[in-house]
Amino acid sequence: MIRKTKVSVKICVGTACFVQGGADLLLYQDFLDPVVLANCDIEGVSCIGGCKDDTLKTRPPYIQIDDKIYGEMTQDKMCALLSEVVHA
Amino acid sequence: MLELNNQYTMMKRQVHTQVLKQFFNDTLSEDVDKIPIQLIPKQRTPTRCCIYKERAMVRYRIMAFLGVDIEKDDDEFKTLSSYVDEVLEEDKPISPLLTTISTACSSCPPDRYLVSDACRGCFARPCLANCPKDCISFSNGKAHIDESRCVRCGKCMEVCPFHAVVHIPVPCEQACPVDAIKKNEEGYVEIDWEKCISCGKCAMSCPFGAIVERSTIMGVAKMIKEEQHITAIIAPAIEGQFPGNLAQIKQALLATGFNAVIEVSEGASETCDHEAQEVTQRKQEGLGFMTTSCCPAYMKLVDKHVPYLAGRRSSALSPMAYTASLAKERYPQTKVVFIGPCLAKKEEAAHLGTIEGVLTFSELASLFVAKGVDVREMSDSDLGDTMLFEDCRQFALSGGVAACVSKRLTVGDEIAVHKVDGIDKKMVRVMKSWERRPIEADLVEVMCCEGGCINGPGVVAKPSVAIRLRGGNKAASPVASMRSIPGAKE
Repeated sequence: MIRKTKVSVKICVGTACFVQGGADLLLYQDFLDPVVLANCDIEGVSCIGGCKDDTLKTRPPYIQIDDKIYGEMTQDKMCALLSEVVHA
Repeated sequence: MLELNNQYTMMKRQVHTQVLKQFFNDTLSEDVDKIPIQLIPKQRTPTRCCIYKERAMVRYRIMAFLGVDIEKDDDEFKTLSSYVDEVLEEDKPISPLLTTISTACSSCPPDRYLVSDACRGCFARPCLANCPKDCISFSNGKAHIDESRCVRCGKCMEVCPFHAVVHIPVPCEQACPVDAIKKNEEGYVEIDWEKCISCGKCAMSCPFGAIVERSTIMGVAKMIKEEQHITAIIAPAIEGQFPGNLAQIKQALLATGFNAVIEVSEGASETCDHEAQEVTQRKQEGLGFMTTSCCPAYMKLVDKHVPYLAGRRSSALSPMAYTASLAKERYPQTKVVFIGPCLAKKEEAAHLGTIEGVLTFSELASLFVAKGVDVREMSDSDLGDTMLFEDCRQFALSGGVAACVSKRLTVGDEIAVHKVDGIDKKMVRVMKSWERRPIEADLVEVMCCEGGCINGPGVVAKPSVAIRLRGGNKAASPVASMRSIPGAKE
């Protein structure tokens, strides 16, 4: 089952995230599965505030999938997370 | 070469950011000794043997960041804060550029070829047939390599249909183009300074982070704090290293505490004019090929290892040198800080005498984060009239220098160009062979780093990312619309 609406994905490109590995996430076109890619609306956005939120207990780089913020993001983690959301 | 974004780079960047944050909060001297414990808390699952070793490594990284020569000045009885006091008092000398942390070095065994479990002891046995030294034997239905006779040619690895032969290199030794890295009697890494050309490839390739660059950032941080007049001269490679366009990066620099920003491309234009003139003249006189002179690691390579090329180098100064004098002309009282992707530039700058500081992009990134400057939130600053040198922003890419020189030739003139894209052990041998058999070209463009400066040891974004964010101001601007940019290079 693939969900009907597109998943909104925001990659934080605030300087703190960008320099802590967030830059690599911008290559999403290369590392994401085409099916996942087709079902996501991905964009790079200004600081989403993950670094200022102490309740998250995690570190940059952050991405936001729908309304939830995830930290310490890597290409692999992003692949896994998104395919979970898309195929849910 | 190690993938740029890895745990080591991230840790290094966190250490650097913490140090700078404390420095600007005026608490560095008191709190610096807490950083190793803050970054490596008790609950952490260690990646080295234990958290205590990891903390010790953070301590060494802080020392290197402060500019301490760990090989010479490591005193385990001394606290970090006493090092800080020393550095705040007086800047450390720049040379040698790199320093080694012997306790971080894993003393990797000499490089070798090994037959793994994947060997199926096939009937064809191409390894046996192709080994030039007859050092492969079979026992228990599997191949074995006789270490004492192996010459490490790698033929067996190439021909094995099961990919069963693996090469286990020593990353730092393999990366060094001039064999300047040796192991001492205890097996720890040592750098032969007589041979080293400061290219930084070893530091980039060690997976244990045992070779580190000595930063010169504290000198610059002090200037910023004392509110001196500082001019940042930014290398062409800076575009694409931060999330924003050139105008935003310039604005971010101004917000960080620099007073003026000049693009090194402006000086690069002068280098090009000079080289175009020189190459035409050489061609007319039939003197044979000329090489570019803007890569400082290549300049050192010639001085130390390929002396005959000294007569072949262009006499043009590097773009950095021209830009520095330009800065001094415009602002006579200013301190000039070069910001680039290069380690070897630090030594070049020290010799020039017109430059007071050199930062890498990676150090600048820590400075931005420590100061809370977000490049993407910046408004566009005025870049001024860039018409005359805009094309020189291509200096950062392999092939860019030659293209700019060709453009500046007198109409009708044509030159044959040869690109040296990255210097490794093999390339050094090829260059040596040019003495006997000169290469058929008029201009040889030399870049020590593969792909050009955007792949230098001090970069933040790896080349594949940087290239997407580059390409004029349109590609760099809003990252959101990156995929819809017409003409953005893939």
